[in-house]
Amino acid sequence: MKTTLFRPYLAAVLLAAPLLAGCGNDDDPEPDDENELITTVRYTLTPSSGGQAVTVEWKDLDGAGGNAPTIGSLRLAPNTTYTGAVTFLDESKNPASNITTEVQAENDEHLVVYTATPANLLTVTRTDRDKNNLEVGLATRVQTTAAATGTLRIVLRHQPGTKNGQADQGSTDAEVTFPVTVQ
Amino acid sequence: MLFRLAAVLLWAGLCWGVARGAAAQSTCTLPLAGRVTDHESNEGLAGATVVLLPTQEATQADSEGHFHFHVCAGIYRVQVRFVGYETEEAELRVGAATVRNFALHPSAIRLRSAVVRGERVAEPQTQASGTLSGQALQATRGQALGEALQKIAGVSAIQTGPSVFKPIIHGLHSNRVAIMNNGVRQEGQQWGQEHGPEIDPFVASELTVVKGAAGVRYGSDAVGGVVLVQPKPLRDSAGVGAELNLVGASNNGLGTVAATVDGNSRRLPALSWRVQGTLKQAGNTRTPDYWLENTAYRERNFAAALGWRKDDYGIEAFYSQFNSRIGILQAATVGNLADLETATQRGRPVGLGSFSYDIARPYQQVRHDLAKLTGFVKTGHGGRLTATVAHQQDYRDEYDVVRGSSSAGRKNLPQLSYLNYTTTADVAWEHPHLGNFSGSVGLSGTYQHNRYAPGSRQFIPFYNNWVGGALAIERWQHGQLTLEAGLRLDRRDLATKRLTRGFEADSSLFYGVERKRFQLWTPSASVGAVYEVSPHLTLRADAALVRRAPAPNERYAQGVRNGLYEEGYDVTRPAGAPQLQPETARNLNLTATLHANPRLNGELTVYQNYIDGYIYQVIGQPITTIQGVFRPWRYQQTDAVFRGLDATLGYTPAAGWLLSGKAALVRARNLLLDDYLVYVPADRFELAVRREWAGRPDGRLTQRFAQLSLGATRRQTRVPSALYDPLPAPDGYGLLGAEVGATVHLGGLPVQLSLTGTNLLNERYREYLNRFRYFADDMGRNITLRLQAPLNFSRRASAN
Repeated sequence: MKTTLFRPYLAAVLLAAPLLAGCGNDDDPEPDDENELITTVRYTLTPSSGGQAVTVEWKDLDGAGGNAPTIGSLRLAPNTTYTGAVTFLDESKNPASNITTEVQAENDEHLVVYTATPANLLTVTRTDRDKNNLEVGLATRVQTTAAATGTLRIVLRHQPGTKNGQADQGSTDAEVTFPVTVQ
Repeated sequence: MLFRLAAVLLWAGLCWGVARGAAAQSTCTLPLAGRVTDHESNEGLAGATVVLLPTQEATQADSEGHFHFHVCAGIYRVQVRFVGYETEEAELRVGAATVRNFALHPSAIRLRSAVVRGERVAEPQTQASGTLSGQALQATRGQALGEALQKIAGVSAIQTGPSVFKPIIHGLHSNRVAIMNNGVRQEGQQWGQEHGPEIDPFVASELTVVKGAAGVRYGSDAVGGVVLVQPKPLRDSAGVGAELNLVGASNNGLGTVAATVDGNSRRLPALSWRVQGTLKQAGNTRTPDYWLENTAYRERNFAAALGWRKDDYGIEAFYSQFNSRIGILQAATVGNLADLETATQRGRPVGLGSFSYDIARPYQQVRHDLAKLTGFVKTGHGGRLTATVAHQQDYRDEYDVVRGSSSAGRKNLPQLSYLNYTTTADVAWEHPHLGNFSGSVGLSGTYQHNRYAPGSRQFIPFYNNWVGGALAIERWQHGQLTLEAGLRLDRRDLATKRLTRGFEADSSLFYGVERKRFQLWTPSASVGAVYEVSPHLTLRADAALVRRAPAPNERYAQGVRNGLYEEGYDVTRPAGAPQLQPETARNLNLTATLHANPRLNGELTVYQNYIDGYIYQVIGQPITTIQGVFRPWRYQQTDAVFRGLDATLGYTPAAGWLLSGKAALVRARNLLLDDYLVYVPADRFELAVRREWAGRPDGRLTQRFAQLSLGATRRQTRVPSALYDPLPAPDGYGLLGAEVGATVHLGGLPVQLSLTGTNLLNERYREYLNRFRYFADDMGRNITLRLQAPLNFSRRASAN
């Protein structure tokens, strides 16, 4: 076993095992840092022409199963250009840990994919690039046209060693869908 | 508390038993003795095994070939056997002190499969079983335990790529198959389909599979069968010996070195020892068209044993450690349902890949420690008291793909990290033979606790599990008929502690601990019969009733693993609904065996296993998580039936030739839904032709053989409705294999060499029970070279 964190715990239980074999073991599971958890996807859209930013959140604090997630709705104005910024957070921790900085640090292994349904609901363009000049998608430009309703799906793809600009490489770290109203 | 009480009762019961046993048998003191010699040279055969057949009492001839028993008056069949000689049997009427000598005929053919056996002889099993030993076992060296066991008819494996094989016996696996590692029930993280048994097959000189429910002997979860991993007994002749095994394979660059050194003290003949070690490393596996990236694996195992053995008592300490790191196929790394669908639609890795011994995330890191202390005391006339205490520790870390800059990435932490500690104590007393009766009573206790490491994901909750049980098996043997009946009762007490999450009024998160306790009685019963119609035909029948308590994962697993969201039954059980109930299996097996015939031998087993409350996973409505949509796999109960047959046949048309065939069929139904069950082994057939040349005993090359085999697996057409399986069952396939080998005598050293080819035609195929079949083809052509060299230091020393 090569993990360092693992050892003291292990040794402790090892020592305790013979002592406790007769009377059970009363330790409780600790609400410890579950690593690699994402609880929140936040998408902030700021109109290029100035004005109030629009923020939408997809949040599931207790992870898979348990309580249902809370899903915000995105309300955008027609024929408007927005600057988009996506944030990934782990808010089960206090203070919340910002996964976006990890994604940014390894942006050559990540791709954020935006899919609008219907396709003409809005146009999302990735505006940032990694060191290999491949798009990342943490920063975006969003263009709306006519009034419509639909959905926007945001997928964070983790593509270590395989990123080539295609979405199908790697595996999904986060995938959320927001209802969208353009009016 | 419970455990201590059980221990006290155990010892009290035991002492009472010994006292009674000694009293009952004080009159049987008639000596029965003789000498075993070589028919030609008239020399005594030291170490020949002499067995009294009705009682199975056994002894070994001393250095001059002499043996002796003390018996009651009566009729005995005495069987004498020795490696390299024809076995002889004689019927003796013992009314007074009796002397009977045996002169054995050498058998050149027997030497081929020089099986080294201990002096204790297994009683005739009422259950169907299959064994790998000698050359058959040698032909599997370098393979994982579950892979090797597939040589036995009726045994297949749930496979995760080239490195993880979980044995399936008669269609059942995981929680329903007990594995006895050197006499100790293997306890670890055996609930996962991709968790292979944490055992190094190199410790074993014999692998046996007991087919069918065997709850009485091995514990009430042995619904499908039992795997026995048996090391050879410690060395009993003075000196030091060693055995070296080397294995190399072409496909994945597998290299294995395994060595055993054992010794027996010249001054203290009772003292024996053995150390054993295995190093194994394999790189990426190659399919006919591409490499399977990140399927490299490595193992590092060792074991040591120290024994003190006298005629009437013995004690042995054993320790073993198993370490392995197993890469998970890169193409099988999926996040959610959409990922899974993308990957299965692609059906193959993105690139061609390349060969490498490197293991990157995702991978599993597993360690299993076993420490065991066992002792026996003979209590006269076949009576024997055995006590065993053992402690096992199982660590399983699963490393997912993470961001290098996250805390897990920087510290290289596993995302799932389980620890399992199990202490077991068993006492068994085989009572002296009373007329035609023999049998044993036993007590067994288990204490287990399971944790996950801080910072890792809760998938299986914390739990403590106490099991205490008592069993009795009685056997009646008369002439050709043996009857056996057994009863066992276990008390199980499972306490779980599960971390739960909820919301405060201000919608902030809070954590709680949910404690549950599950107390159950699990009885088992069995009856069996063996009838030896003739010396060449044996009929067996056995029926068993087994109740298996739900395992903690079936109650409380929760979370995402391998792109699936799994949930135990008791996690979302509605308030007021009864908890997950034990499974009740009613198993019936019938076996006919043709054996020791000059030409035609074989075995046929038919079986039926009704399981009420069969626990299985049902796919529910998709659930939405922040990682996307998943289809939840929820544990539910139904009634199921498994039926099937295993057949083996061997025909010798002329001396040195053997034509053999094997078939295994399983049919499984979900009775409540009137549907098939998923992941049931497809029909399997194998045909082989083998030629052996005995060769001149003094030649440089002896025991040459060549074998050609064709294995065929049909497409599994008996599958449940589409939802259960991301892809339909793959096509059937046939694989051509060949093996050649010989014993090469190098300076008096008999070195066994063999060359084995599998999938010789480099066929593209996918196995229904391989979990990687959704993502890639199976292994292509593979040529394996095996070498086994025994070294006997003492002999060399005496020659000098």
